Amino acid sequence: MLREKLGKELLFFDGGTGTILQEKGLKAGELPEVWNIEQRETIIQLHTDYLNAGCNIIKTNTFGANHLKFNENTTYQLEQIIVAAIENAKEAQKNCNSQKDTYIALDIGPSGKLLKPMGDLSFEDAYELFSEVVKIGVSCGVDLILIETMSDTYEAKAAILAAKENSNLPVIATMIFGENKQLLTGGNVLSTVALLEGLGVDALGLNCGLGPVQMKDILKEMLSYASIPVVVNPNAGLPRSENGKTIFDVTPEEFSASMKEFVEMGASVLGGCCGTTPNHIKMLVDTCESMAIKEVTNKEITVVSSYAKAVVIDEVPVLVGERINPTGKAKFKQALKDNDLEYVLREGLTQQERGAHILDVNVGLPGIDEVAMMEQVVPELQSILDLPLQIDTSNVEAMERALRIYNGKPLINSVNGTEEVMEAIFPLVKKYGGVVIGLALDENGIPTTASGRIEVAKKIYETAKRHGIQKKDIIIDALAMTISSDTSSAKVTLETLQRIRDELHGKSTLGVSNISFGLPQRSIINANFFTMALYSGLNVAIMNPNSEAMMQSYYSYLALMDKDEQCNNYISHYAGVKEDTIGTKSTSLSLGDSIERGLKEGAFEATKELLKTTKPLDIINQELVPALDRVGKGFEKGTVFLPQLLMSAEAAKTAFEVIKTQLATTGQVQEKKGKIILATVKGDIHDIGKNIVKVLLENYSYEVIDLGKDVAPEVIVETAIKENVLLVGLSALMTTTVVNMEETIKQLRKAKPDCKIMVGGAVLTKDYADDIGADFYGKDAMATVTYAESLNLLTSHR
Amino acid sequence: MEKVEITRKEVYRYLGYKNGLIDEKTKDMIESCIKELEQIAMPKFIYQVYPLSVSGNRIDFSVFQTNSKHLGINLKGCSKVALFAATLGIQVDLLIGKYSKLEVSKAFFMQAIAAAMIEDYCNYYQHIIEKEMEKEGLYARPRFSPGYGDFSLEHQKEITSILNTPKTIGLTVTDTLILAPAKSVTAIIGFSTTKQHCHKHGCEVCKKIDCEFRR
Repeated sequence: MLREKLGKELLFFDGGTGTILQEKGLKAGELPEVWNIEQRETIIQLHTDYLNAGCNIIKTNTFGANHLKFNENTTYQLEQIIVAAIENAKEAQKNCNSQKDTYIALDIGPSGKLLKPMGDLSFEDAYELFSEVVKIGVSCGVDLILIETMSDTYEAKAAILAAKENSNLPVIATMIFGENKQLLTGGNVLSTVALLEGLGVDALGLNCGLGPVQMKDILKEMLSYASIPVVVNPNAGLPRSENGKTIFDVTPEEFSASMKEFVEMGASVLGGCCGTTPNHIKMLVDTCESMAIKEVTNKEITVVSSYAKAVVIDEVPVLVGERINPTGKAKFKQALKDNDLEYVLREGLTQQERGAHILDVNVGLPGIDEVAMMEQVVPELQSILDLPLQIDTSNVEAMERALRIYNGKPLINSVNGTEEVMEAIFPLVKKYGGVVIGLALDENGIPTTASGRIEVAKKIYETAKRHGIQKKDIIIDALAMTISSDTSSAKVTLETLQRIRDELHGKSTLGVSNISFGLPQRSIINANFFTMALYSGLNVAIMNPNSEAMMQSYYSYLALMDKDEQCNNYISHYAGVKEDTIGTKSTSLSLGDSIERGLKEGAFEATKELLKTTKPLDIINQELVPALDRVGKGFEKGTVFLPQLLMSAEAAKTAFEVIKTQLATTGQVQEKKGKIILATVKGDIHDIGKNIVKVLLENYSYEVIDLGKDVAPEVIVETAIKENVLLVGLSALMTTTVVNMEETIKQLRKAKPDCKIMVGGAVLTKDYADDIGADFYGKDAMATVTYAESLNLLTSHR
Repeated sequence: MEKVEITRKEVYRYLGYKNGLIDEKTKDMIESCIKELEQIAMPKFIYQVYPLSVSGNRIDFSVFQTNSKHLGINLKGCSKVALFAATLGIQVDLLIGKYSKLEVSKAFFMQAIAAAMIEDYCNYYQHIIEKEMEKEGLYARPRFSPGYGDFSLEHQKEITSILNTPKTIGLTVTDTLILAPAKSVTAIIGFSTTKQHCHKHGCEVCKKIDCEFRR
């Protein structure tokens, strides 16, 4: 069996396919997979040559075979192409003179599409695309699945899930890195290894993009992180163009010399990619075959990742921002109920700016569909932030959905020592990958002694091990319980931390601020306890990075414990900050002036000042709206330009936020002038214009239901009916998507005739808007405001 | 690779400022946005040269064929053609997307800067290609992109597939013919043995004369 050989003996892949077919006459733009049928002999010969060269694994000629390229509208169907590809490979196995055990890899390359939100392929559609290929491949009898040349970890994840959920075959995934040691989508070596290993591939590695020389450093790094066999399939050097032809320069001799080094470094599966030939592979096999394989060792490294960043949990403690959690936060609860994701995003961004390394995400709230909310919030956060996330839910379904769509290896919050919870969560951790927090409590409750908690920790480690989850992927929560109900509880927690470190040699976490529940001035206790906990070995602090006292404890601890080189971190945060000036900025500008000049801080301070003397609604009517009107008029006249209009709008928005917070304390809400739906139409993935309109409409007190971009007509119609909306704004950027705008209008007219429709976007004109049946063409953002103001959008029932 | 200077004048034009009415504060903001973008952009390009034959509107790139009056005029007298694609990379989209949700004024600045930036990079890359082709005694015509005149956007598909751009530079096309990453260009560059001094491109060849960004 191949799986038993991986990492135990050196194995060899074949070399390039596409480049050789080009030599043999494949035209630019022609799909190589068609040759499985039309030039069958050529393909069989190529496989045979590689087998005769001594490789163990041949890749089927199916790199680009997927439903996007082969479907009802093409000469050949996907199934025909894949079946033929595998038959060809089998034929070559029969024809060749190799004495070795040889294997056929079902080759799966990238879809050629970018995944949402940047492109138009959804994660689940990508999964379906790959599943179809896997199912056909498996039914024909391949030996393994090779997912290769992936430059996007998210797409790789979709392919790996497709492979694993539709087969029991070994799965190998290799990625294409640039010379900057990054994937095109921004991932680095460690974040990539973390994700691939987490998903349980049998081997991972590098292919294409670079020659062996350029790959060496990347490979070295990869080998230092990977606990599973590493594959390396380089190109024959970097491509260059000569007379319109792409040339790869590295000779078989040079190629095999580099590969020899790679074996010594620890690579265990070797082959070639673009530009390599049977000669390269023959020389590679001849040179390396008799070499000893370097044993694959388990790397004791605890790491979580996002699509772009890896966070190592080790000597230097890491901070998990706890603010994305509705518990005890009225404003957050309201935001979730209103589906106000912007609020959630801002909480995330602020914490990142404050220094959080990971963000906890908890959206559990009675009356909220947690599964749906999790599915919405996780990709949304990942679209604006590159921090790894901590998925925090006790809803198993929400957990599974979040783990599935998360791009990276997340922190998982949490399991505890109860059988039921561990049996529910560990299989998910095993399947999707992740580092999981284990609360040191079980069926018998929270142990009151450190010894009791250590025992639970051991039980968690053992159960995890039974599920195939290593200790390095478990972080024990030593449990901070408030000292206001038991004054010895901090001592127990600290002792537990020390014993996790010293006896269990494990990793620990705490929800730090729980320690002070029920006490006044909690930040004093929290910050001091935090220092003590860090000193006792705390690895992962779940805390509020917006608390300056907590951050002071953190940076001081790092500086004092020789974990901050030359105190650089400490200095960069606190040099130049006068001790008594934190948080005492002042401004002399009026609110109106601040808005007109587009000064957010000024608007913030001025509103706070005004609130001391003036009623919130008076501020809105006497200061805010007149200032906005002045800017708007200036814009219409051409004395104010769009950037200034936007900065003013944002300053006004800041002022509104301050007022909203004030109103919330007295349970009041600002009167709205009605609901407006905004959406970028189906097929269109650009939404700056729509977002500009949104900011302006909100300032004029409209409740904007922002459906985002690439929105299907049906969704817009459904929402308009459900929310009884009387004005819909649609944006489209391209002539190719205006058809979807027209379709949306048609459907809206039929289903909700009392609804007005305004349209805008780069390619639209007044005539065009009339043609497709819109009520109004917004030539710019202000025009849409003027139009909305001319309508009465208030409905009798809200 | 050397750093390509972003043409400020074009940035201001995309932002809607006409004739230098821009204030210092806004200029500072633009400069800080430029820095932020320059840090994360990963500009890349790819091209391939093919034999070309043009007879009237009928254009044969040898790897694909099309009919286009406007491109026919552009390529008249050319014997070779470069298929060209360039992108600033996905990180630019991510950054603009982030600000588009959280600080739309900044997103607006950034998309204007990125629009100017991709043009500047394309000019820089074209210069590299021109130098290479001049060795063969061939001189370039202005870049001509799908969507110009009657040269259909559909041809983005052929260009990206022939240059294998999803793999080589990470550039894809959506079903609705939008390039993703957004700040990207596909184009045709004709080459002939005669130098052509009148390099018209961009607005000058565009038929949409009521465009507010027209130079």
